[in-house]
Amino acid sequence: MRNRTLTTITVVLAAGALALSACSSSKKNTNGGGLGGGSSANNGGTNQTYKIGFVGALSGPNAQLGINERNGATLAIDQANASGKYKFKIALNAQDSEGDPAKAPAAATALISDPTVVAVIGPAFSGESKAVNPSFCQASPPMPTVTASASNAELQNQGNKCWHRIIPNDNVEGSQGADWLARTGAKKVYVLSDLSAYGAGVAGTMAKELKAKGVSVVSSGVDGTTTKNYNPIAGTIAASGTDALFYGGYDAQSALLAKALVAAGYKGRTVTGNGGKSSVFTTGAGKAGNGWYFTCGCQDATIAPTAKEFTAAYTAKFNTPPSTYSPEAFDAANLLMDAISKASASGTATRTSVLDALNKEDFTGITTQIKFQANGEVQSSSLIVNLFQEKSGAIKGLGNIKELN
Amino acid sequence: MSQSENWVQQLPQNIIIGLEQGSVYSLIALGYTLVYGVLQLINFAHSEVFMAGGFGSYLVVNGIVGHRHMTGVMVPLTVLCGVLSGALTGAAIAWLLEKVAYKTLRRSGAPKLAFLISAIGASLFLSNLAGKLFNRLPNNAFPTYFDINHQLFKIGNAKVTLIEVIIVGSAVVMMIFLDRLVNRTKLGRGIRAVAEDAPTAALMGIDIDKTISRTFVIGGALAGAAGFMFGTAFGVSNLMGFTPGVKAFAAAVLGGIGNIRGAMIGGLILGQAEVLIAALPFVGAQWNDVISFVVLVLILLVRPTGILGERLGRAA
Repeated sequence: MRNRTLTTITVVLAAGALALSACSSSKKNTNGGGLGGGSSANNGGTNQTYKIGFVGALSGPNAQLGINERNGATLAIDQANASGKYKFKIALNAQDSEGDPAKAPAAATALISDPTVVAVIGPAFSGESKAVNPSFCQASPPMPTVTASASNAELQNQGNKCWHRIIPNDNVEGSQGADWLARTGAKKVYVLSDLSAYGAGVAGTMAKELKAKGVSVVSSGVDGTTTKNYNPIAGTIAASGTDALFYGGYDAQSALLAKALVAAGYKGRTVTGNGGKSSVFTTGAGKAGNGWYFTCGCQDATIAPTAKEFTAAYTAKFNTPPSTYSPEAFDAANLLMDAISKASASGTATRTSVLDALNKEDFTGITTQIKFQANGEVQSSSLIVNLFQEKSGAIKGLGNIKELN
Repeated sequence: MSQSENWVQQLPQNIIIGLEQGSVYSLIALGYTLVYGVLQLINFAHSEVFMAGGFGSYLVVNGIVGHRHMTGVMVPLTVLCGVLSGALTGAAIAWLLEKVAYKTLRRSGAPKLAFLISAIGASLFLSNLAGKLFNRLPNNAFPTYFDINHQLFKIGNAKVTLIEVIIVGSAVVMMIFLDRLVNRTKLGRGIRAVAEDAPTAALMGIDIDKTISRTFVIGGALAGAAGFMFGTAFGVSNLMGFTPGVKAFAAAVLGGIGNIRGAMIGGLILGQAEVLIAALPFVGAQWNDVISFVVLVLILLVRPTGILGERLGRAA
């Protein structure tokens, strides 16, 4: 009797906790799948439906970038389905990884085992990319992937033949950012990383390039997953006598750091990479975010002339202007649909034929010209890094970082 | 200037930051130690009581302040409301936790391990509930109704800000209050009696269930108030409890689990150790989370029962 009561309570509690977490993630999933799936429920007749997968954070602390991307891809797919320009329909199968390398494998497996998925956008983050890129490429047949945001500079060297990326990697971003900082006259720079695959990568490149330019560098790291109190490190930074700080890490932590730096009275220039550039930073940091710079291999959709139509359609559909990596994901989806259409010209498109078509693509997107090199990166002439700055709560594009002083 | 000179120069400022950090650890650690004292049980859901206090006070403060700009006497009043609502939420959640996750098990005489699992289940439940009800962003900032970084005065070259004074000040007040409560009142005598020898205390006419429930409520109130302070300084999130919770548990063990003054001292030592050791030029902030546990292990090697020993409870 005693044991039975005990078991009942334990089971009820455990079930409650599980049901709750399952509940929240399943809700996110239906949102993701539903946006694409609802508009293309047409399975009958001659219309073939292909699915494009998506892996990224749709919930959890770093969800904003993932949501930006899913929305961009959804828009591209809905537009294509509505216009009828392809003889097939496309649906999105969005899998939430929470951006966590430990949770991404389940998301990847779900996509690989769905036979209608012929290509994948993502994974969105670098850490999860390292975890699952091999699974995608070693699946048989390999699953073609295009990431619109994972910028770690080692991903292209891991021998994953199915992998593609349409943005500049951290080496490009970090070294151009470092060149710019050196041009601004910085003599000593504090380089801080959040110790994630992305943050440590971009911070490492930044430090290396700064040293090569004769700028002295102080490097350190603060674990972005456990740290809330940035006052101690902000004090150290303020006392370091550096002209500028570069933070390699994501938006929410950058915001906490920004606030702590103001409290510590840091006077130098503050710069972070693409991971920090989002509304989570601007709302989280409040006034402390004013003046922060962001290097990003991404388009400012609000000013880029090629993105005008996209911005209007996106804003109308999601009630919010496109943000970091929405245009890139829009391009990735259009690119994949183009590849699927070429692959299906002679029969049914398969993962293998889509991968072939993708490797031969020469596609003009709203962000850049997409033509892949053998390692999966786009040609270096198409890699543009832009500089952004927060001014009273809004992140404004300053232009191509190579042309700025 | 060499980096070690820099460390010395930074010392006063870092001690103040460490004091702020340590005060929060102490307040949470008191909850672990009180419950351990009366039940010989680690309440692993205590970190979620802290989180709940953060969210409870967040809702109240947001409700009061909204988008308005606060001035004059309204500012300290709002802070007081925040502390009280945080403490109240913490107390309510702790009371509920005891009723649901522990009392039923205690009644049926379940083994110690069952309590542990029950606590971990409750902890997961609460943090996911908060994630679902609010959101899972890591930094829901409190409305900025006062300039938390307003510099009040300077000690040498170290700046002392408003939020630091609020956190350390209210922590000290609450700790003195708790010390008085446990040592001078009837309820405190009851708590000490149950901790000393529960069956005998029952024979002496002490209602053990009520005493245990009240112990949870006191610990919960302290953690809830700490949740408000931590939230005001660094923002609230559904996962905010985990790291401070683990550190505070370490602090409780460091001071001697079951020992109230030990928990206070343990928290303060850990706060200082983290900030000062991480600031050393050859260590670095990336070792922050390691430092607490290295300090814990080193002290337990010398004093296995913690700095002040396990005074309140029986030897476990």
